[in-house]
Amino acid sequence: MEIKKINEQENTLEIKNLVIHYISDEEVVKAVNGVNIIIKAGKTLGLVGETGAGKTTTALSILNLVPEPQGKILSGEVLLEGRSVLSMSEHELEVMRGDKVAMIFQDPMTSLNPVHTVGHQIAESIEIHRKVSKHQALKQAKEMLELVGIPSERSNEYPYQFSGGMKQRVDIAIALACSPDLLIADEPTTALDVTIQAQVLKLINELRQTYHMSMLMITHDLGIVAEVCDEVSIAYAGRIIEHGTLEDIFDHMRHPYTKGLFGALPDIGVRRSELMPIKGLMPDPTNLPSGCPFHPRCDYVMEVCPQSLPENKWLSETHCVECHLYKDTNESML
Amino acid sequence: MSNVLLEVKDLKKYYKVPKGMLHAVDGVSFNLEKGETLGIVGESGCGKTTIGRAILRLVEPTSGSVIFDGVDILKLNKQEMRHMRRNMQLIFQDPFSSLNPRKTITQTIEEPIILANMIPDPDKRFMRVMELMDTVGLAERLVNTYPHELDGGRRQRIGIARALAMNPKFIICDEPVSALDVSIQAQILNLMKKIQREMGLTYIFITHNLAVVSHFSDDIVVMYLGRLIEKAPSETLFANPLHPYTQALLSAIPVPRIHNRPERLLLRGEITSPINPEPICRFANRCNYAMPICSKEEPGLIEAEPNHFVACHLVGRGNGCSFS
Repeated sequence: MEIKKINEQENTLEIKNLVIHYISDEEVVKAVNGVNIIIKAGKTLGLVGETGAGKTTTALSILNLVPEPQGKILSGEVLLEGRSVLSMSEHELEVMRGDKVAMIFQDPMTSLNPVHTVGHQIAESIEIHRKVSKHQALKQAKEMLELVGIPSERSNEYPYQFSGGMKQRVDIAIALACSPDLLIADEPTTALDVTIQAQVLKLINELRQTYHMSMLMITHDLGIVAEVCDEVSIAYAGRIIEHGTLEDIFDHMRHPYTKGLFGALPDIGVRRSELMPIKGLMPDPTNLPSGCPFHPRCDYVMEVCPQSLPENKWLSETHCVECHLYKDTNESML
Repeated sequence: MSNVLLEVKDLKKYYKVPKGMLHAVDGVSFNLEKGETLGIVGESGCGKTTIGRAILRLVEPTSGSVIFDGVDILKLNKQEMRHMRRNMQLIFQDPFSSLNPRKTITQTIEEPIILANMIPDPDKRFMRVMELMDTVGLAERLVNTYPHELDGGRRQRIGIARALAMNPKFIICDEPVSALDVSIQAQILNLMKKIQREMGLTYIFITHNLAVVSHFSDDIVVMYLGRLIEKAPSETLFANPLHPYTQALLSAIPVPRIHNRPERLLLRGEITSPINPEPICRFANRCNYAMPICSKEEPGLIEAEPNHFVACHLVGRGNGCSFS
C-alpha cells in the first residue's frame, strides 16, 4: 500500500506496512498484517475495530513492547517524529517511553501498583525523565493530580482508596506527567460507567488541547470516535481497511465492514424491530481467509475477492479504502 | 383477566456490612405484563443485578413481595421454589465464566433437563438438545465441542439455549450482550427478539447500555443507588426524561454521528455510598438542580404524566418539566 507523501515533519507517528505475528510451536497468530498509520502533529487518530483486529498489538509496537518471545515484528517501520522505534537501543527506548510516548490502559483497576501511593506513581516518571529530586517530583505530581481533577491532598492515598473513574484520572496524570508528544489511549473508558466516561472524555479532550499532543485513541465505540478524534482508521483482521477524516467515515463510509459496523449499532430512542448485524464471525487469526479477509462476511462479495487482497485506493485527498468495489476515483462499481 | 405476569412490590434487599446496612435494593415496585420486556437501567452499584437475583430468590429479599403468575414466590418453600424456577430463567453477562469448561455444549444444555427429570429417555433428550441448538442458531457439528473452542457470541447462544431448555415463561437477561463485539451483539439481540416473538416470552433486560435497552424494551426502569427513580414506556422516557439523573445518563452516551450532536449535561462527582443512606434524595449531591428540600426529604414516586413515574422534588411542584 502506498502512502501519499505528506510533509514528513508534520507527522508525530508513522507506521509503515507493519506485520506482527505471534509465533508459537503450535500455531502462528497473524495479529497485524500490513498496517499503515499516520498521526499528524496535534491530531487525534481513532483506531476502531473489534476483538482481534490487531489494535492493541499495533499500539504496543509504538513503544516496542510487543510481548516476546512469541511476538515477532516481521516487517515494517514505526517512525516516531522521523526516528525508527524498532531500531532504538534499550537505553533509547527507556528515554522515549513515558517521556515522548505515554500510554493509558483499558483497566485502571489493574494498571496501577497497589502498594505505592498514587503520588509516588506519578512522581516516578517525572523523577526518571526530568532528573529532578524526589521532593520536586512529588510536588509536580501533586500539580498533575489537581490538573486531572483530584485534590492534591489525596496524593498520599493508595489506588484501592479511589473509585474506577478516579483511578483512570490517576492513570492519565501518570501518562501526562512528562507532557508526551504522543498519547496512546487503549480503550481508556471501557471499564467506566457512562456518566464517569463522559467526565473522563471531557478531561482528555481538554488536556489534549492544552498540551497540543497527538493521540492514538483505540476504541470499539464509534460514539467516542465522534467525540474526540480528528481522523479514523478502521481495522479488520490486522489491516486498516478504511481511513479518513471524521466526515469521510461517518458521512461517506465506503467499506462494507464499516457500513456493517454502523448498521449493527442500536440507535438510541429508536425501536427498530431488527438490527442489521454483520453475518458470520471475526476471522480466526491463525487461519485467515484468502484474498480480502472480509470476503466471507461481505454482502457484496465478487469473484475477485477471495483471490487477491484489495489494494489501497484513495477516493479523495483524505479518504482511502481497501476494497475491490472501489477504483481510484470516487465511483464504485456498485 | 389481568395480563400481569410479574408483580414486584416494595422489594428490598439489605446487606449487613461492617459499617452498617448496605441498601442494595430499596423499595422497588413494578409490574410486568405477559410478552413484554422491561428494561432495568443504571450504573455500577445501582442494584440492578440484585433486583434480578432477588426476583429469582437467588438472594433472599429482605422484604417485599414478588408475585409471579398469581403466586407470591417469596412464600414458597424450597421444593415449591425449585419447581417454580422452571418458569423463570436467567441469562448471564459473561459467557466466558458462566459455562462449565469441562462440559460439552450438549452436556451444558441437557443438564437442567436431567435435573428436572423432564425427558428421561436419553435419545429423546438428545433430540430436544438438537432442537434447542437449532433454535439459537448453533450448528449441529458443534454438539461435542467445549466452551473454550467457541467465541463469545456462540457461548452466549449456549447460555440462551440452556435458559430455554425448561420452556420458561420468563427470562431475566443480565447484561447479555455487554461482553460481545458490536457486530455479534446485534446478532444476539435479534435472536433474543425472535425467540421472544415465537415463544411468547417475557423478559427483564438488565443493562447499563441505554441504546440496547431502548431498542429492546417496552418499559424502562431507571435505578440510582437502590432506588427506582424513573419509570416510563421506552419512547416516553427517551423523548421526555424527567429525572435529572436520567437526563444526564441519556446525554452521557457518546453518539455515533458527527452532525447535530446533542449538548452534554455533565454530572459532578461520583455515586455515593449505599451504606446507611439518609432519608434524602440520593442523587442530590450530584444534581445540577438541587434545591434545599432535596437534602431534607426523600422524594416519593409520582405519576407525572400517564404511565410516567418519577421520584424527584422538581416534578409535581409546578415546575416539573421546566428544565427539560
